[in-house]
Parts: sequence; structure tokens; C-alpha cells
Amino acid sequence: MTLLSDIISASAHLHNSNHLPSDEYDRRIRELVEYFRRLQSTKALDSFASDGTFLSNFDPVIDSIPYLFVLRVQIQKAQEINTNVLPADLRPSGKLWTCAAHFLTNFDGVQVRYAGREWRLLVELVGQASQAASMASRLFFQSYSGSIANLTLLQPLLGAKLVRDAMLRLDPSCAVFTSSHLLLVRLCLQAKAYSCALPVLDKQIFHFPISQGRAFSGPSALCADHASSVSFMTEASGVSSKLSYRDYLQYFLYGGMVYMALKEWRNALHFLGIVISAPSTNPVSLIMVEAYKKWVLVGLLEKGKLCSPPSITTPHVVKVYQSLARPYIILAHAFEHGDLKRLDAEIDAGKGVWCADNNFGLVSQVVGAFFSQTVIKLGKTFAALTVADLSKQVFPSPVCADVTRSAVSSLIISRALNATLVQTKDHAESSMLRFSSIHSLPRLSYESDLQSQLKQEMRIMEALVINLGETNNNLGLSDEYVDSLHKGQVWSGSNEVNPIVGGEAGLEMDEDLMGDMS
Amino acid sequence: MEPASLTIEQLSQLVVSNAPPSQLFEALSRYELQACIISTGVGSHNTSSSDSTLLSLFYSSFFLVHLLTDQVSEARALTKRIPEALLQQDPSLQNCLTLLRAVWQTEHGQVYQVLRGLPWPEVLQPLVQRYESFFQDKTLIAVSRSYEAIRLATAATYLGLNEELAKQEDSNIISNFTKCGWTWDLESKLLHPKPIVVSPAEPQSSNGIRKAMAMLGTRAA
Repeated sequence: MTLLSDIISASAHLHNSNHLPSDEYDRRIRELVEYFRRLQSTKALDSFASDGTFLSNFDPVIDSIPYLFVLRVQIQKAQEINTNVLPADLRPSGKLWTCAAHFLTNFDGVQVRYAGREWRLLVELVGQASQAASMASRLFFQSYSGSIANLTLLQPLLGAKLVRDAMLRLDPSCAVFTSSHLLLVRLCLQAKAYSCALPVLDKQIFHFPISQGRAFSGPSALCADHASSVSFMTEASGVSSKLSYRDYLQYFLYGGMVYMALKEWRNALHFLGIVISAPSTNPVSLIMVEAYKKWVLVGLLEKGKLCSPPSITTPHVVKVYQSLARPYIILAHAFEHGDLKRLDAEIDAGKGVWCADNNFGLVSQVVGAFFSQTVIKLGKTFAALTVADLSKQVFPSPVCADVTRSAVSSLIISRALNATLVQTKDHAESSMLRFSSIHSLPRLSYESDLQSQLKQEMRIMEALVINLGETNNNLGLSDEYVDSLHKGQVWSGSNEVNPIVGGEAGLEMDEDLMGDMS
Repeated sequence: MEPASLTIEQLSQLVVSNAPPSQLFEALSRYELQACIISTGVGSHNTSSSDSTLLSLFYSSFFLVHLLTDQVSEARALTKRIPEALLQQDPSLQNCLTLLRAVWQTEHGQVYQVLRGLPWPEVLQPLVQRYESFFQDKTLIAVSRSYEAIRLATAATYLGLNEELAKQEDSNIISNFTKCGWTWDLESKLLHPKPIVVSPAEPQSSNGIRKAMAMLGTRAA
């Protein structure tokens, strides 16, 4: 029997096995993965390394493991032959790229849980290949025609969509933060394909991959149905490369930038808030300072004021932000004072700063937001105003009434301003802007909106409750753990070492810590 | 499932299909990868004219479907991903840019002018017409919530109706609004809109709040 028929037969053993009890299915997949790891270490798979037709014997939907391992060997071979990490075959539309794309859009999410490291390496290569192709096009066009074609944006898009689909295929909840998260947002920003990142960005992250040896609740078989993906997206699984503090900060900064590009200011503020309130004992990271600068501008755009950092931000970090982002704070004060001339002057004075920080686009939008925020503020003082009076209040120099009316109606129509307009028969007579409207929407509509929001919040809360349970368990805070800890204390007596905590340092808990709650 | 090859026939079928906008968006999103690969020839002057026609049709349709699904910011991002040479030379994509500018600046009159007055390829007509009705409906809802009283001519401009006829208080123009429950005051010559309520897409669960409270109670216990 040839090796090919051996492999086909080994893989076929797994077909239609997903109806088996999870322990049995788990055993079969583990055996298959072990088999391929053995073939890989003994270099037996090398005989297929250059066989372009080999992979056509397998369907990634049902033969994910053999497909992944052989593809990996073929990629390594191409890298060796070309002495290049990203050979031409692995670039978009190359032969290996096509196979990788076919695999990443069709693999079996359960089988791949057992080969997380190999999956991650493939995802990273696809990401790197699309980025590298983009760089190559950039250099080519600079030397060829002196201009950078939009082609450089297209290649990261190829990678971004594949990476996103692969992530969602492996873990539809995307609840565990992995290195692929960062790769995805980076590719989406490079490709200017912002909404491409949303299916992942919009999902709540609850965990980092837990380290080896930590117990988790639920079934032990990786293939079983798990309430939370943290059970199988572990450090040992290799689905994520080693994560650093910097990766975490970068992901939320880049995610915030995606939301900014889509003008979803509220979400952007949430992401930036995570970055600027990250715990820091050492000198503040530059990423956090960058995020704070954007936080100030997005705060003006969303809320019309200089927003304080989240309350959990340490005071010394806030002081650092305030000293390093001085021009932004001055700009925000000018905005808050409602002085358009001063705001314009500050924007002109700080032009070099905004450009150097790549924030000029946001600053330009702040000027646009000034009008809407000023009108919203007027609504807190007046019940109604004619458009002519409003124009005098908002603009320092006279502006055509039609311009003001058009701007106000745009604000109301886009629902940025909660007010209504009342026109009169006479064209010459100015329209009336009513802030406290008697023409409010029927109560039913308001309640429907509210109910819809509540439903959305409830979905998030359900996910939070499930994942909180997992986190408690991982941290040793579950009810079962506390109960057994209590029993252990009773049994062991005061002089003996606790059987569960053992002699490990750092687990001593001051029981009076919660005294103020009683 | 992988999409069939990107061809003019395939695109034409999609465009004329009456599929919901979200489905059209999904289908066209899947084709963008193929469009990317085809367009890699654009810069190296390897693209044939049929490729350019295909890309023009693809990107124009994709752009219109972005608007049809109310993704204006992403439609703008799409225009940054279209190969520059194609974007500058192709009349259909130029129309898309003009339309984007009008939508972005909420110039309602200009939007209708672009949709009705500019020469759109025959294949794109179904999408152009769908977007026009979508834009009209969306505007009608927004105006009904934004005005307590509005002149007929202003309302007509918002909906792309004949402004001259509106000034003459044409009964057909008036009936466009009165059939939505708006009232026409003959004395003041003003329309009084009735706010249009859009029911949420998902059916509401009556015990949703109770379930949420029960869940909180469980955790608090």
C-alpha cells in the first residue's frame, strides 16, 4: 500500500464520525493528528512536497487535517527552494495561495481545533503574503510610473477577507483574543476595507488564551460543544502566537481607528477608552498616548466635550496624557467655549501637530461637529428659535439663511439633532426650530426602539454571564472551588498546609477585604 | 460556498434579481476578491477592455449596493479601493463619485438629478431605480419625523417630485403625501406630516425583559 492510500484511508476513518460520542471522535482526531505529526517529523510527507496534484485528493471540508499538514509541507518546500519566506506561489493568485484560500474558506472548525498551531501559521503566512504583495506593488509603481496605484490596497484586502473568514470559522464567537485579531485589523486598515473587520470587531472579547494546566469547566474533549471557546482556544492549542501588552493595546487602537473611519464614534470611544485605561505601572506606552489624542477628538465629535478618561485610569497616567497631548486639550477647551474664531485659530496654530500625528482628518471633522454641537447646546437654553436667530447665535459673521436652514434640516434628518422644523407659508419668513417638540414620535415607536436595544443588551449580557463563569473558573473563583477550599480549611486545621492552595505564594486572601460589604 | 466566476453575465443576473439588498451585498462581497485579482493587471497594462468593462460593472454595482444597504461611509472607502486609472476613466464610476458626493452632502435634489439625469449603463438600471426608491422612502420617513409643517415645494424637493407642479399645488403631488396620512392645510398652504413609524425588523419577545431580570437575579444570588 502506498503512502497516499495510507493517508486517504487514515483520513477516511474520520469521515462521518462527528455523530460518534465526543470521546471517541476526540480520540480519532488526536490519532490522525499524531499520525501526521509523525509523518512530518520523519519527513515522509516530503515526497508530496512538490506534487501539485496531491491536494486535489482531499476536500478540506472533511479532510481538514491531511490538507493542512500537506499544504504546510508544500509551502515549506517552496520556501526552501526559493530561499524566500514568501515565494511567488504563495503570493495572491499563486498556486499555493489558491490552495490556502480554498482551505481557509472551507476547513472543518472542529478538526482544526486539534491543529491550532498549523492553522495559525497558515493564517499568518496568508496575511504576510498579501502585505508583502502590497509592498512589492508599491515599490514597482514608484519606480515604474512614479505613482502609487490603488493596487497596493487590493492585496491586503485579499488577506483580510481570508483571515476574517478563517477566524469566524474556527471560533464564531471570537471571544478569545488571539494574534489573528491584530493581524485582521491591521490588514483591514491597510486595505481601507473597514467594514470587513466588523464581524470580528463587533464581537465582545472576554478572554486571553488560558495557559497550560489551568482547568476549565465543561467537557474535556476539544471536539465537544463548549459553552465558551476559551475551553479550546488555549495557549497549548497554538491558535495564537505569544501575546504581548503591546498587541493588546494595538488591537484596540486599530479597532478604534476602524470605527472612526466608519464614523461610529461611540464604538470608537469605547475601544480608545480600553487603551487609555490599560493598567500601567511603568512609563506610559506611546500607543496609549496616541489613543488619548484620538480620544480627545472623538469625544468632541460624539459628545461635544472633552471627555475624562475612564475612572479606572490611574491618576499619574492621566497627568502624562495631559502634558503630552497639550495642543489637543487646548483645542478641546476652545471647542467647549463655543468660540469658533478661537477654535479656527487653534486649528491653524496646531496644523503641524495634527499632521505629524496623522490626526488632521479628525481635526477637520471637529470643525463640522462644532456647528451641530452648538445647536444641540442651544436646545438646552431655548425651547424654540427661528433659523435666522439661530444663525446669529452660531456664526460670528452673517450667513445666508438658506445655508443655515439646509444645515439644520440635515442635522435633524440625520437624527443628530432631536428637534423639528416648522415652516410658514411665507418664503421670506424664517422657519422655526423647535427643540422640545409636541410632534414627538408615537410612544409605540419609542418603546419599540427601547425594546430592540434591550434585546441587544440582553444578548451581550448572556454572553457575558457565560464567559464570566468560565473566567471565575479559570481564576479559581467558582462556587465549587470556594466550597472545596472552605472544606479544605476545616479539615486541615490551622497549622497544616491547605491541600488545594498548597504552599504556592500569592494566594493568601485577606478575608476582611469584603468587610465593608457586610 | 465559493462563488461562480465573476463574469458580466453572472453580474447581470445578480443585478436584475430581486434579491434583498443584504443578500446582494453578501454575493458581491464574495466577488471582490476575484475583482482584486483581475485588477492586478490594470497597473501593468495587461488588462483587456473586457476586463475593464467587467470591473466597471462590478465596482459600480457594488457601490450602488453599498448605498442600498445604507453603508455610505463604507461606500466611500470602496471608492478608495477601486483602481485609480479605472476610477478616473470610467464614466459609470465617475457617476458613482458624483452620486456619493451628493449623498454625503445630503443634497437631495442633486441625488435625484444624478440618478435620473446621468447616463447609467443599461445593465445597472435596475439597481439605480432600486436605489432611487430606497432613497425616496428613507427621505419620506426622515422628513415626516423632522417637520411639523412643511411647504409643498420643499417636500417635493426632498422626494424628487416636480417642484413647478408643487408650486401650483398640483393635486397629484399633494396626494403623494396625504396617502401617507399627512394633512394638507388649504388655508396655510402647508403640509402637516404624520411621523412614519418603522417597525423593528425582528419580532419582539414579550418576556425579554423578564428573562434579563431573571438572569441578573441568578447571578446576584
